[in-house]
Amino acid sequence: MICSLRTRLLTGIITGMILLLTIFSLLIYVMIRGALVKQFDKSLASVTQILAASVELDVNEVEMEFEVQQMPEFLNEEHPTHFQLWRADGAVIARSPLLDSDNLLRIEGSLNELVHTTSQDKNGRPQRIVGLTFMPRLANSERKDKGTDNQDSRQLMNQQALTLAVARDAGDLYGQLGFLRWLLLNASTAVIALSFILAAVIVKKGLRPLNSIAAEIATIKEDSLTTRITTEDVPTEVVQIKNRLNELLSRLEASFNRERQFNADIAHELRTPLSGLRSTIEVTLTRARDNDEYKRVLFDCEAIVENMQTMVGNLLMLARLDAKQISFQTEQIRLAELVNSCWQQFSDKAIERQITFDNSIEAEITCESDRQNLSIILSNILANAVEYADKGGQIRTTACNKDGSVELAVSNTGCQLTADQVAQVFDSFWRGDLSRSDTGTHCGLGLALVERLIRALGGNAFAELQSGGIFVIRLTFPEN
Amino acid sequence: MRLLIIEDYKPLQQSLTKGLREAGFAVDSTRDGKEGLWYAMGNEYDVIILDLMLPGMDGLEILKKMRTQGRKSHVLILTAKDTVQDRVTGLNLGADDYLVKPFAFKELLARINALLRRGYRQKNPIIKIKDLQIDLSTQKVWRGKEEIQLTPREYALLEYLAMRLGQTISRTDIWEHIYDFNSSASSNVVDVYIGYLRRKIEQPNKHPLIHTIRGRGYVLGVQ
Repeated sequence: MICSLRTRLLTGIITGMILLLTIFSLLIYVMIRGALVKQFDKSLASVTQILAASVELDVNEVEMEFEVQQMPEFLNEEHPTHFQLWRADGAVIARSPLLDSDNLLRIEGSLNELVHTTSQDKNGRPQRIVGLTFMPRLANSERKDKGTDNQDSRQLMNQQALTLAVARDAGDLYGQLGFLRWLLLNASTAVIALSFILAAVIVKKGLRPLNSIAAEIATIKEDSLTTRITTEDVPTEVVQIKNRLNELLSRLEASFNRERQFNADIAHELRTPLSGLRSTIEVTLTRARDNDEYKRVLFDCEAIVENMQTMVGNLLMLARLDAKQISFQTEQIRLAELVNSCWQQFSDKAIERQITFDNSIEAEITCESDRQNLSIILSNILANAVEYADKGGQIRTTACNKDGSVELAVSNTGCQLTADQVAQVFDSFWRGDLSRSDTGTHCGLGLALVERLIRALGGNAFAELQSGGIFVIRLTFPEN
Repeated sequence: MRLLIIEDYKPLQQSLTKGLREAGFAVDSTRDGKEGLWYAMGNEYDVIILDLMLPGMDGLEILKKMRTQGRKSHVLILTAKDTVQDRVTGLNLGADDYLVKPFAFKELLARINALLRRGYRQKNPIIKIKDLQIDLSTQKVWRGKEEIQLTPREYALLEYLAMRLGQTISRTDIWEHIYDFNSSASSNVVDVYIGYLRRKIEQPNKHPLIHTIRGRGYVLGVQ
């Protein structure tokens, strides 16, 4: 689930606080409760022991000292303490004055191990009860000393085992524990509420740098990519985000600038032939001409239009490559044949410029690729070679297999470019024509298209300058 | 009037040269920047039509060099670059006008004529000397109510004389402004054309308008 950072932090902090406070409150409560009950039971146990000690066995009569029975705590009606004494057979021997005819819970315990429990008295008030089974002391100590018949005595003793239960009102104790619970609950709630407010403030303050960066980003439009996020005092974690965002902006700006430059170049490259076309037509129309002249002008216009068409085709191809809208159909291609068929369209121009063409690709070298696109690539490279080779120069194509890939090279003599310029030949609208005049004929898209297309086919294009002014374009692409 | 075209796109360069020659201008033209600068420095052109993106040397570079060397020819920049910044840069470097490609040939012609008039401080496109009337925009000439038919060369000569009305103009000056670089004619041809022009313009019962100043040249006007 996606929710705001603020909500996440707040939820985390508050949940943590609730958990911690609950655990601590429970721990405190259990400890205090244990201590209070223990103290209560201890005082109850001492009363029980006093009572037990006051019980005497006289012949067959069990007696409890009267003074003990009249102890103030047994007569305190507000916080009464009750006792009840049973014989082993369950007959009640004595019970405290305030108990009337009620019975206490009969619990059997030993001197060493008193058994405590909590119950409710007849009014429903909570009380702690302690139970003890013991041997009353004999009133005549001589008889005990004589020790008549051991077996008889033992029998007697068994009969005389008594059970004593003492119960004390524990209303105060539970009242105190109730107050403690109330206190802990309210304190925890208050702490949680306060920490919520505090956390909200801290989180808000902590997230402020993010908000200010967000506000800055919101102001950046596609036409203001030169702006950078300048928010100062950002925490180290956010500095990373800020830097990355600024880097992203730089890349976007560069890419937008490239795009703009590309569009401006397109406009420029289209305007030039358009102006030539318009001027040629308008000048011709200024007066009446003979048929031959009209014909000549129309041929000129046709040549301009053909160049424009090639350029628009290249542009469209580049745009489709960028949008990944070109699909390839691979088939087995014999490279030597493909190069020869691509060369057809340039052979006339080569003869005109006295350029020799040498296709040295061995007939058996094949590759699996898209025939149509590979011939576009080769035609562009050959067109470039025919255009820029020196008059009387040579164009040569070679190919070889190299661990699973094919390397095809097209070289031409008469290159006048420097090594730096050669590195730029694949850039769009770059023309090495600083010393040559070919505006409108070549707009510098051919080799850019070659590079993009060969990469789309899974290969690579390299350009290099060899000694003696030999310009080489090397293509590598997978055999399959 | 003599023009120089520095434009690297062949179809445009050729059609402009043809069109402007047909319009009666003496036109030199080149497709290379360095050659263009050489032409511009060596001759007193009335208007230079300059492309910006040129092989050899950038158009703005040519303009800068021309101006620092004190060349006063009018420069009309002809380019596909059309941003305000491009125009401002060009004009600030000393260009006189700016035309974005593609353009109408008529507009180019009108702008060249405007620059020529500006160059010779002639704001009115119709020049009148007594009853001789020259319409610079339509290139028509009248003496009184009679229209005089002139050849392009004769008209160019008359136009140049009219632009510098009342000034004595040397033969070389005239020759330089109405003949292009490739023309084989020498400055003597000026005398021949002055003769042709006189025959067409001067009429026996009217004031002579073209006067020969011995040893210095010719002057158009009433003396």
